[in-house]
Amino acid sequence: MTESKAAVFVIAEHSRTGIEPVSLQLIGKARQLADDLDSKVGAVLLGQNLSGAAQKLIEAGADLVFQGDADVLVPYQAELYTEIIVKLMLELRPEILLLGSTFMGRELAPLIAAKLETGLTAHCIELAVNAEGILEQRIPAYGGMITIVCPEKRPQMATVANGVFSTPALDASRSGEIVSIEVPRDFQLRAQTLEVVKEEAEGVSLETASVIVAGGAGAEDFDGWREIEELANVLNAGFGSTRPAVDAGWTELETMIGQSGKIVNPELYIGIGLSGELQHMVGIVGAKVMIAINNDSKSPVFEQVDYGVLEDCREFVPALTKKLMESRNQ
Amino acid sequence: MIDFTFTEEQELFRKAARDFAETKIAPHVPTMEETNRGWDAVIKELAEAEMFAVTIPEEYGGLGIGYIGRLIATEEISRVSVATAMMYQVFGLGIEPFIKFGTEEQKKKFLPKFATGEQLATVAVTEPSGGSDPKGCRTTYKKVNGNYVLNGRKCFITNSHTADAQVVLAIDEDNPESFTCFILEKGMEGFKPTHEEHKVGMRGCNTGEIEMKDVKVPAENVIGGEGKGLKVAMAAIGDVGRGGMVGCALGLQQACLDETVKFANERILYGKPISKLQAIQFKIAEMKIDLEAGRLLGYRAAAIQDAGGRSSNEFAVAKYYTTEAAQKAAKIAVDIHGGYGCMEEFAVTRYLRDSFVLGPSAGTSDIMKVIVARWALS
Amino acid sequence: MLNIVVCVKAVPDPSIADKLKIDPVTKALPRLDIPLVINPLDSHALEAALQLKKKYEAHITVLCMGPPPAGNIVRECLALGADKGILLTDPAFAGADAFATAYTLAKAIEKISSPDVVFCGMASSDGATEWVGPEIATFLNMPIVTLVREIVEDQGDEWIVKADYDQGYRKIRLKLPAVLTVTRNLNQPKPLSFSGILKARSKEIMEWNHEELGVPLEDIGLKGSPTYVTEMYPLESRREVEMLEGTLQEKVERVVKILSDAGVA
Repeated sequence: MTESKAAVFVIAEHSRTGIEPVSLQLIGKARQLADDLDSKVGAVLLGQNLSGAAQKLIEAGADLVFQGDADVLVPYQAELYTEIIVKLMLELRPEILLLGSTFMGRELAPLIAAKLETGLTAHCIELAVNAEGILEQRIPAYGGMITIVCPEKRPQMATVANGVFSTPALDASRSGEIVSIEVPRDFQLRAQTLEVVKEEAEGVSLETASVIVAGGAGAEDFDGWREIEELANVLNAGFGSTRPAVDAGWTELETMIGQSGKIVNPELYIGIGLSGELQHMVGIVGAKVMIAINNDSKSPVFEQVDYGVLEDCREFVPALTKKLMESRNQ
Repeated sequence: MIDFTFTEEQELFRKAARDFAETKIAPHVPTMEETNRGWDAVIKELAEAEMFAVTIPEEYGGLGIGYIGRLIATEEISRVSVATAMMYQVFGLGIEPFIKFGTEEQKKKFLPKFATGEQLATVAVTEPSGGSDPKGCRTTYKKVNGNYVLNGRKCFITNSHTADAQVVLAIDEDNPESFTCFILEKGMEGFKPTHEEHKVGMRGCNTGEIEMKDVKVPAENVIGGEGKGLKVAMAAIGDVGRGGMVGCALGLQQACLDETVKFANERILYGKPISKLQAIQFKIAEMKIDLEAGRLLGYRAAAIQDAGGRSSNEFAVAKYYTTEAAQKAAKIAVDIHGGYGCMEEFAVTRYLRDSFVLGPSAGTSDIMKVIVARWALS
Repeated sequence: MLNIVVCVKAVPDPSIADKLKIDPVTKALPRLDIPLVINPLDSHALEAALQLKKKYEAHITVLCMGPPPAGNIVRECLALGADKGILLTDPAFAGADAFATAYTLAKAIEKISSPDVVFCGMASSDGATEWVGPEIATFLNMPIVTLVREIVEDQGDEWIVKADYDQGYRKIRLKLPAVLTVTRNLNQPKPLSFSGILKARSKEIMEWNHEELGVPLEDIGLKGSPTYVTEMYPLESRREVEMLEGTLQEKVERVVKILSDAGVA
């Protein structure tokens, strides 16, 4: 057991391809928060064949890595991970615990929070320690931002999506401590993941696309949605959506861009028939050029883009697609 | 005093009817508009959604929800398709004589089938020689060996070609003061629908003529008793027919208001939506006032009906008010749309055409005034 | 007899709630009368229960924590086919965060009886934390699967389910009693029927406040919430927008030029 306490902990995720990007981003952020609190950064790493992963976390800013390397830890099992992490948290009692808003994080975080009887904020866009040393957790809502705190219960827990924070540079000269944790071998699982199956993702990946076309409620119906999709195809762009489009059943949750969906970093973004809700717009980071097409002059989207087109997207989009195809054929 | 709010249960009926109209009826509207047909599809949907069972008592296979429920359903359906609402309300009108005047045998024979939509009903009163004046009836019956033989022609009958059972008003060949209502069933020899109408509005609503040539009608098909025909027909039309028209009109008014508000908020002139202009606001206010008033009149009459009272006067007021208001609303909606109000892709043009047909159905506005004057002067 | 509990939340109609914005002057939310509806994902949760009821003998209790108007939502669930409804309503429940909400719901579920299955929508349209389901499971000491997209085997007390996961899915063997949070893809909810509404007349809706629930005040509502909102502020715009001018066709040409200047078209 280590002596000096690590105030900020991160549950790091690991897969066959290595450490999840969001986990590194969180270590970077945790480093900042720990520095503000004059404390250390701890990480929990569970998985199998973790060679070098703990070291990488240290190079990214962690001081202390608790590592569990065992076959029973792959695939991720909620009850087992919860058991291990809660036990560790009760011993170490950090101030802050961060997880990525990954599929694992979204399920694991509340299970841990409930067991520790502490508070949890989902999909944070900003994290900062205030003058009293309390973590201020900011999320977009109602066209603005709201700040949430968990003043008494510990640890203060938050989940953050991939891409919100920047990836820290790795410093090979950093050193830290790696502690092996005991992994129960015959833990009885009532919910057991038997297998994890990957499905073919269609189209351009949103996270890597340099051009993104996003559609919203203004598509009106399936035909309108297909018109927007055609435009995305012609531009070879990633095709994203907002929550109303997902709710209407025109597309899947995986295409949703926003606070509780995907964070994207395109060069160029075209928002069509969407109102510019902050929950969606925060998902678009660092775009050079943003264009909006909407028939509502009062729509907030027109305050957040570079070029605004006040037209009915049902008329404008097919016309634009047609013109692009013509130009292409010349 | 009165509680002007709907019960939780009534709000659920409205929600169910609205969802039904938006998901199951709306997709058929374009076909009905273009082809003036396509009613089989919506009739099937109405049957599956238990719409025909609304006024039929539970002991005969219905839901016994009553007339407020019927008005709610009709209003919500009309908001999406006036043509469908018109057919629906006239099916209900056809069912009413069975409920009010049918013998036990007739109720047992017909009502369960009406409730499921297995059989459809209508009422046939209007003739070329008179609708507003029922005494202009020229369809005759002759008593032959205890049964009857009918001859004549009815026109402007909604559901003329789809109904399986039609309640037909006829006069005694030998005594033109004596009216009797008969149940004419599809397949009876000499009885058939003939000409189909092409109405300017409510397209896809089946309206047409029926013809009776020496149709043999058995005695058990007399409904309401011999000589009581006018009473049967007027009771059904007076309460249920007018009530249905109120539903059609209210739905249309709501649709006009919804479309107009949407357009006014989106149409930019002088740098702002036209909904900011007082002239437009005042027109919209007129539509809203008429809608609020019409709703109260309609539901008040339906509440009396549910309580078992006679409501034909109250419905005459409501029918007059709402059908006139719907015609006004449609014209205002078209006006606010400016040039777009003449273009077929805009729903308001359909609303305008539909609104024309509301006036003369189930009694013209002038006839409503005759009835209301009689009420006021009595 | 399968004992099923479905947790539903009454949320402001999502199609209208989008218009709710922080007032830039008062920095608070304006009072808007937005009608309450069943949280869309909870309809899928209820449908999952109803489909089970069709296959096996089952009793479905709908549980909802909310202000008195949320009772309409409970009644709607009864009209859709649930057998009994419970509305947890008490000013003391107000201001609850996900933790306090889950705690209150879990206490109610304990009081109902020992359910075999608890269904929840995976998230609410107005909070979207996705946490109430997992936290309820923890308080009830039940296993949980989130994001269920398909129930493959549902006979007996060992189920096989598929849940959304990371560009694919997980296949999970689940021992009942358990909590499942469901996604939209699990099923297609059936619409309200008139006869269903009539049948709901004879079904019971109970209302429980914190005393009837037997929970101390410090564990519920704002008092029982580890987290709370300290401030809210509207966001200022960060870009200078140029609204394109001209006819539709002229705007099309302009956009094509913008795209080609950006190296895209």
